[in-house]
Amino acid sequence: MSASMSNRLLLPANDTRVLLIKWVVALLVPVVVFTLWSGESIVNAVISPQTSSLGISTDPVALLAAAIFVTVFYASTITLAGYLVAADSGRRGIIELWIDVFIFTLVPLILVVIFHDLILGLALCAVVWPVYFFVRGRVRKARHYIPPPPLESLEVLDVGERSILISRATAGGFWFGTAFAVVTLITDLVYFVTGSLPTLLLIWALIRTLVLPIAGYFLGRLAGVIALRRTLAAKGNGGNGANRVGNGIGTSLRQQLEVLSTTRAREEAKDLVPNDLPLRSTGAQRFYLILLGAFVLFYPILDPFLFGSGTDGRLANYGDAGRYVILALGLNIVVGFAGLLDLGYVAFFAIGAYTWGLIGSPQLGFLTGIVVNPQLWPWFFWPMVLGAALIAAFWGVLLGAPTLRLRGDYLAIVTLGFGEIVPIVFLELDNITRGANGIIGVYSPNFPGVLWTGFTPTPYYYLILALIALTIFANIRLRDSRLGRAWIAIREDEIAAASSGVNLVRTKLFAFGAGAFFAGIAGVYHAAKLGVVSPDNFSFGDSVIYLAMVVIGGIGSIPGVIVGALAVYAINELVLPQLDTFAADPSSVFFTIKSSIIHFAPGFTYGSVRNLIFGIILVVIMIFRPEGLLPSARRRRELHAATGGAEMGALDVVPGAPGFEEEVRVD
Amino acid sequence: MALFLQLLVVGLSAGAVYALIALGYTMVYGIIELINFAHGDIFMMGSFITIALLNLVGISDTSHPTGLTLVSVLLVACLGSMLICSALGVLIERIAYRPLRNAPRLAPLISAIGVSLILEDLGKLWKGNQFIAFPLGIHEMFLQTGISLGPVSIDSGSILVIVVALVLMVALQWMVTRTRIGRAMRAVAQDREAAALMGVNVDRIIAFTFFVGAGLAGAAGFIYCLEKGTTIFSVGFELGLFAFTAAVLGGIGNLVGAMIGGVMIGIIEALASLIPDSYVTHGLGLPHGGSPWHDAIIFAVLILILIFRPTGLLGQRTPEKA
Repeated sequence: MSASMSNRLLLPANDTRVLLIKWVVALLVPVVVFTLWSGESIVNAVISPQTSSLGISTDPVALLAAAIFVTVFYASTITLAGYLVAADSGRRGIIELWIDVFIFTLVPLILVVIFHDLILGLALCAVVWPVYFFVRGRVRKARHYIPPPPLESLEVLDVGERSILISRATAGGFWFGTAFAVVTLITDLVYFVTGSLPTLLLIWALIRTLVLPIAGYFLGRLAGVIALRRTLAAKGNGGNGANRVGNGIGTSLRQQLEVLSTTRAREEAKDLVPNDLPLRSTGAQRFYLILLGAFVLFYPILDPFLFGSGTDGRLANYGDAGRYVILALGLNIVVGFAGLLDLGYVAFFAIGAYTWGLIGSPQLGFLTGIVVNPQLWPWFFWPMVLGAALIAAFWGVLLGAPTLRLRGDYLAIVTLGFGEIVPIVFLELDNITRGANGIIGVYSPNFPGVLWTGFTPTPYYYLILALIALTIFANIRLRDSRLGRAWIAIREDEIAAASSGVNLVRTKLFAFGAGAFFAGIAGVYHAAKLGVVSPDNFSFGDSVIYLAMVVIGGIGSIPGVIVGALAVYAINELVLPQLDTFAADPSSVFFTIKSSIIHFAPGFTYGSVRNLIFGIILVVIMIFRPEGLLPSARRRRELHAATGGAEMGALDVVPGAPGFEEEVRVD
Repeated sequence: MALFLQLLVVGLSAGAVYALIALGYTMVYGIIELINFAHGDIFMMGSFITIALLNLVGISDTSHPTGLTLVSVLLVACLGSMLICSALGVLIERIAYRPLRNAPRLAPLISAIGVSLILEDLGKLWKGNQFIAFPLGIHEMFLQTGISLGPVSIDSGSILVIVVALVLMVALQWMVTRTRIGRAMRAVAQDREAAALMGVNVDRIIAFTFFVGAGLAGAAGFIYCLEKGTTIFSVGFELGLFAFTAAVLGGIGNLVGAMIGGVMIGIIEALASLIPDSYVTHGLGLPHGGSPWHDAIIFAVLILILIFRPTGLLGQRTPEKA
């Protein structure tokens, strides 16, 4: 990097107003939409449960939880506003940002509100976003868009700059709080004038109007402190944590970065403040995690506020979606990290399910004569989560061991074969597994104070939540471990990895084993939740669906795979089976389409073209967004390298920028 | 022994179908390294088109054409099915695979799975969720005539199947090894960029590969109908899976390997029906009858062979791809 670049690109202080408008508007719009949709009714229910018109339970625990959620939600959005104002380098246009915010927060929110279902809205985003990415790419290409060169934000800020950052963050929090207070006050006054607001809530509205700006001020300061912490330490790559401390970090990181490509520098720079893409910075991601965590944790209580009645059915669906998330994350280890194509992943899922099916059901008694106490035996579920996962992992290693000599797609066909054989074996060993009838009466887990039956989905929701959390944690740790780096090395270049001392056989076996492990966990959960294990749940089609989840989400990217799993689950299991129900409503667009098709094909139902629509969606997503919805940064870099030709950003100085001529001139 | 030989004949004619489908898999894999999951469904479409064409030219269950009429009717069905399937294959390549030529490796695979789902549902929409029958008159005529070699009797349907498959395979082999376009195909398979630099129109050659592969699938659809007498929309998936297995067994990317692999799978499948079925009354109703174990046996044989020959039977000996 040329040394001529200026030290720091903090905007002059009087430009703060632009930043404030930019971020207050960008954040206020989605927050207000959410508030009008249901945030307000949650608050109202907490303040005055009697006046709540929704018929929601006035259970104090639920109300307390709702209050906690509301507090966390609004406090973290205000803090986020402060952080973003402080963290923005101000080099990206307002309109560009607003379009992004619109597409990525408002569109999902509106879709969810319109379609009245969380996962359904998200699934539709999976179709909308690739089209948006595609269009954006085309527009940028047409306008010869060059991303701004990466910010050299690797130096320690001096005292003056630090105080500017703090004051910016404070202003951001304060003005966001004020603007939000004004907007909600106006809405409440309108309600009050029309007479639909009880006096108690009016008092609350007035208090809130006073409290929000003050809270905004202090939360903004907090945001400033958080942002300041980011100005010092870049996230070390791996274990070089020693660099994080002290003042010398600026130079050493700078040296490190100088040898990296500019693409890489841009990625490293996203950890820092100020930042070109503050919404994607590591600091902002912490806030998203808090918001997401609060939302997911309190979801069973929030659900009636969001969507009204029918909570149990939706929770049960989300429990199933969670199983797919675990499966997709497990498959991601094999396909995404280690790059081994696995077309028979369902086999390990089946092994996990049958393990608990055989042990945790009366079938055990029939087979072995061991009589277990059906009150106590379900406790055994907890150790068996681990046990079945280990058994599945064992089979994964067993399958992997003889087949590791195979390259690429030969491996794929062997896994496919394994995936076909396992369900057939379970089907044919009918004296053990009851064949096509399946094992029935599989025990639910047991836990003190919790009622586990098929009709109370809440415990299963929290169970799957805990399992997902465990899986994600394990995945992140695995990815960042020595083993994970070895997997990625194998994926990128097997021969180079081997010559660098990676033990191919052991590493691949671990990948198979780890992938199968999580499938086993999902299998146990599935068996316990459904209460039935039968071989028709484990077909090649299921393996293909898991693979589609991983690829659509973005191979190797953990958040991507989660989104992909939810989206594919929602499209395939929630939306498409319900199209006929939607079409029954004459006002819906599906009815119109159906009535125009039915002229040509009498007896047409959406059910008969379910796979057709799913297939079209798969093809469309792949054509518009072949790298998946949220590709991992490393993967994106690989792809750029694979397409050949240096990208613009790889030059130290972008063409057209001052200094470019000197940089490229050959003497 | 007689039973064994008889099963061998059955396996041979079934294997001819597998081999023809496997050729399409192996050609496409050889040239763009894509497992074309839609290929089995093109074969299914081929079998539907065969029956539709026969009905179109006025052949019903009761008609018994003979002589020249019979030959021309069958030719129309076979060539028509091949041509329409070829067009379908080229269309699929253009819409679903060509935009993904430089995408990550698994993207076209998912796209192929999508196309496979689309074709399957189209087949279901077209002919419904039931077995549809090849015109009974012709089918019975082929079943009842035939020759006997000692204890083994071969019906003329099987003979026709084997003959058609053989002719097509020889023609394909000739085209790939002896003609200009075959040489271009091999060049693209070996190194796409170098071939492009040598003046080969890569896009056209890839489209042509799909044209030929899908055409062979269409022919396979024709002889499948001739042999089995019925077809159903899900047949593409089932047979496609085995045909792909056959392609891998023979060494994927290798034409002769695919042929040998197909015949082997057919024979293994026929012999697997000797194994007694432990679960005759199971309710799943596998489409092509016999022992439900034979899926497991075919894959077990595949895994065994791959363990000892990791690149398939002929994968190493003739590394050229077409």
